[in-house]
Amino acid sequence: MNSRMKTEGLLFTLFVGVVMASALWFARDWPVRASIGVLFLGGIGVVLALWQFILDAKRSDANQQRSQFEMPTMAADSQWGNVEIWSWIIGFYLLILLVGFPIAVPLFVLSYSKFYGANWRLGISLSVIAWGFVYGVFEKILHVPWPEPLLFSLFR
Amino acid sequence: MIEAALEGLYQVLTPNSLALMCLGVLLGSLVGFLPGIGGPSTLAIMLPFVMTMKDPYAVIALLVGFDAVGNTASAFTAVLISVPGGSGSQATVLDGYPLAKQGQAMRALSASFFASLVGGLIGPIVLIASLPFLRPMVLSFGSPEFFMLTFWGVTMVGVLSGNVPLKGLLAGILGILIAAVGADDKSGIERFTFDTAYLIEGIDLVLVALGVFAIPECIDLAARRTKVAETQELGEGFWQGARDVFKHWWLTLRASAIGIWVGFLPGLGSSVADWFAYAHAVQTEKHPENFGKGDIRGVIAAESSNNSKEAGDYIPTLAFGIPGGTSTALILTALIAVGINPGPEMLTTQLNLTFAVVWTLTIANIVAVAICLAFIKPISRMCFMPFYSLVPMILVFVFIGAFAANRNNLDLIALLGFSFLGFIMRRHGWPRSPLILGLVLGDKMENYLWLSYGRFGFEWLTRPGVMIIAALVVLSLCYPMLQHWRANKDQTGQP
Repeated sequence: MNSRMKTEGLLFTLFVGVVMASALWFARDWPVRASIGVLFLGGIGVVLALWQFILDAKRSDANQQRSQFEMPTMAADSQWGNVEIWSWIIGFYLLILLVGFPIAVPLFVLSYSKFYGANWRLGISLSVIAWGFVYGVFEKILHVPWPEPLLFSLFR
Repeated sequence: MIEAALEGLYQVLTPNSLALMCLGVLLGSLVGFLPGIGGPSTLAIMLPFVMTMKDPYAVIALLVGFDAVGNTASAFTAVLISVPGGSGSQATVLDGYPLAKQGQAMRALSASFFASLVGGLIGPIVLIASLPFLRPMVLSFGSPEFFMLTFWGVTMVGVLSGNVPLKGLLAGILGILIAAVGADDKSGIERFTFDTAYLIEGIDLVLVALGVFAIPECIDLAARRTKVAETQELGEGFWQGARDVFKHWWLTLRASAIGIWVGFLPGLGSSVADWFAYAHAVQTEKHPENFGKGDIRGVIAAESSNNSKEAGDYIPTLAFGIPGGTSTALILTALIAVGINPGPEMLTTQLNLTFAVVWTLTIANIVAVAICLAFIKPISRMCFMPFYSLVPMILVFVFIGAFAANRNNLDLIALLGFSFLGFIMRRHGWPRSPLILGLVLGDKMENYLWLSYGRFGFEWLTRPGVMIIAALVVLSLCYPMLQHWRANKDQTGQP
């Protein structure tokens, strides 16, 4: 797991370095006014990313550095927990696309809470609160125009 | 100045402002004692709504009221279940939880709230006291000095990101590059838009803040499946806790001063203030061996510093327009959206708004501590909410907040992208605050740089103010390297 975390960390540092280098590449054709900040900071960024990459690569698997001011992350054994919650998040997004916010919100809240052991009373109460928030604040007060759900446009 | 102070107080005490401040205090307290929902995440959720407001005093009442109290209530979970409600109460766990296990949870909570009150009141006093000194300094600054200050802000953010200065600097630069996305106002050039209409307007700060902060915390909460194995008895000792704070008044004052200083330095958040104050207490108090085993001084130091830090945060935010931390970066965005222009004007023509911030900080702290003390038992019971009732609600608020920012479906995809970025950053210990601060400061930096160059050519580099701040930049860059070198030397010197 530690070796995997190290590889992941190295890949992320590499990604950051590539982003900085790409910024330099794109900025090369811009007028000075638009490019000077990007060239200056992007240049520093590439050097720092390379430095960080070397530091990470040289450190042992178990000795990778974390910011002491970031709250401790989840234990390595909750790997499945990550996949699970990401599935819920992406599922919620797809549900919003398919049926729209007003239906997706209570449906998601009810299914999530029930799946993890909430009783019906709590699940339904939470769904009603969430739906009330969407309807009351967004529809009635802010008049947010919801996008047309994909499913509705298919059957129209 | 007195007129401005009275005007600020009058505006804060209007029914509308008072009601919004109380709402902010309630929300801040709720967020504080529910682990997994941080202050910046909630502020990011609130931004789209707040930006529809027109009254600047209303925005100040709601957001500053919210921001002032988050650390007060976060002591509940830190003491009772050893899970800090927010990043500002991490050090509180070290002695608060052992005290709770000894049956002294009530004493720890009471001491924590009274220490928070003292810290929360000292902060605004220092903020007011600093105004006469800040005013001439800020008014003498031109765009070159402001550019150097923003530059210093970014380097401080990076360098003071704890033990990973390189990662902090990289995150700050990444934030500045994200700020560069979209059409450039001055040259008309489209930067990093890849011929997509969506990116021409740039990337909304709300989306980045929600993605980088709110979703990763939510993922962590869900993945941990926080369940309380054993409930703690509150025990007795309410007045004992209050007495402890006044018995250790000198420590309370010192810790509050540390909090204000940490707040004043751009980029350092609550999570730093409590550790600094705790470390200071361990280093300077008698019987340091008791810390970590249930010493009330550990709770007092951490809690007085994290509350005073909030006022310290507002000094650079209001005077220079450079946010002291992530929360103030988000509040700064909201203030600008409603027509408030942080910077020199806040100390001259808009001084009443500065005082409104000071009064809100003061009153909000008193209200929050009163709420926490009055409802100590029912709130303690609420700390044991299961994750499955929090996670879906947070996700709903985040998705709706992201959509409401621009009412564009693509915002949800951008949200998922930034969520993944925040998730990976958190997973690999990259500090996320510098990214947000870089994003907020990016535009300012570019503008100040161009104003400086346009007005003075390269001569702006020789201005005394610029040279002094440049020296500070160099010092702040060299200091951690020196520390690192010393640490390495000590390690190699050990047998």
